[in-house]
Amino acid sequence: MNGGALFQAEHIDKSYGKHIVLKDVSLEMQRGEIVGIVGENGAGKSTLLKILMGLLAPDAGNVVSQGIVGYCPQEAVLFETLTVSENFLYFATAYGLRRTKIENSWEEAKNNLLDYFRFGQYENRLVSELSGGTKQKLNLSLALLHSPDILILDEPYSGFDWETYLRFWSYTEELQSKGKSILVVSHLVNDRSKFNSLYALKEGNLECA
Amino acid sequence: MRLTYIKTSAVMTMREMARNRFALILLFTIPVLFFTLVSLTMGDNLVAFKLASISEETIVEVSAQKQSLIFIGVAAVGLLTSFLAMNLIQKDSDVNRRLILCGYRPSELIFAKLVVLLCVVVLISCYVGAILMLFFRPENFPFVILGFALAGFVHSCYGLLVGAIVRREMEGILLIVLLVNIDSGWLQNPIFYAEAQNKTLIRFLPAYFPSQASIVSAFTDYGISNPIVGSIIYGSGLLLISLAIYFWRMKIKKSSESFVQ
Repeated sequence: MNGGALFQAEHIDKSYGKHIVLKDVSLEMQRGEIVGIVGENGAGKSTLLKILMGLLAPDAGNVVSQGIVGYCPQEAVLFETLTVSENFLYFATAYGLRRTKIENSWEEAKNNLLDYFRFGQYENRLVSELSGGTKQKLNLSLALLHSPDILILDEPYSGFDWETYLRFWSYTEELQSKGKSILVVSHLVNDRSKFNSLYALKEGNLECA
Repeated sequence: MRLTYIKTSAVMTMREMARNRFALILLFTIPVLFFTLVSLTMGDNLVAFKLASISEETIVEVSAQKQSLIFIGVAAVGLLTSFLAMNLIQKDSDVNRRLILCGYRPSELIFAKLVVLLCVVVLISCYVGAILMLFFRPENFPFVILGFALAGFVHSCYGLLVGAIVRREMEGILLIVLLVNIDSGWLQNPIFYAEAQNKTLIRFLPAYFPSQASIVSAFTDYGISNPIVGSIIYGSGLLLISLAIYFWRMKIKKSSESFVQ
């Protein structure tokens, strides 16, 4: 792993039968860097993300991280018949936040996220009763709850209204200023200036965009 | 395994179950419906059949209606518990995987589910037993309940297996309905069993041991150690296979250094 890199994927290959999806893909994220990957539908973005997250084994290559990773999947992956608050509690347990000495520190983080993304009024609502945008806010908040060093976001702002979109970027920049690294994977990038590095995934290759 | 993790998961699983009101209504109405239909349709004539788990020579003569009530009780418990178990393992599989990615161990999640399932099996068995008492009083009531619980155990393990193998609900429902219907609902009926051409095959089906435990306890004072041991071995076998599949499907390759947690 290179000196300052917080997260590194090296020489990733992946095929489904004869169909090659990823060819020798390498990616590196430095501390405090926002990296973007764009690609059309079917370009292999989801496959790459699954490999980065360990949900899928590559045919070749390896992934190394030197920090706590937070992951926000494209679809809102939530417990639909639990409330927003119960989802937070469940994930706080998963992250091991309830074992810390300051028992309620995760609740403070939860309240901050509820306030920041303005969905605190739905705290006791079942997820199944929420709108798509609010589900996406919860989806993202669950990835942020444990203050990860590296944040991997798959189409994080799909379903956001303009105001929430702006708040998302302002939150991301705040994280960046704290030295966190963020990888945003999307089919569409509106503002290139937000990214330190931007790559395009084309025919299995990762190229500078 | 970490207790806080298991406790949280078990509580959340129970809350999810309790919020599925339609399923709860079915849970309470199906046994009543089954028993009522049997009592309205079956005559009280005497039927003679062999108690296969005791010996091929042991024949009892009992009321056809009472025999069918026991038999339908086993089927009701089997059907309900296998559906619940399938739903428990199939539902939320993506979000469970996300939890594992975030730090949960698959063993903690599945252990919590099994604890909840065990409680539900006991509750359903007692409930079906209580309804049965409205229709007639079996010879050895606690062991009839035990027979129902064994039916719940074996069938919930079958439901877990179906849920672990099949990703979609429709296929799972068909697999459960087909097997439980033909096994509990037909082949294990002692009257059919007595005339069956291939009794060995019937003995290898999931409902055989629990049905025998309930039938023997309902009408005789014979011991039921064989059906108890048989049910536990059978259910445990199914459970082990389903756990192996579950762990394989939930595996996550963590990169070196630290990861999500």
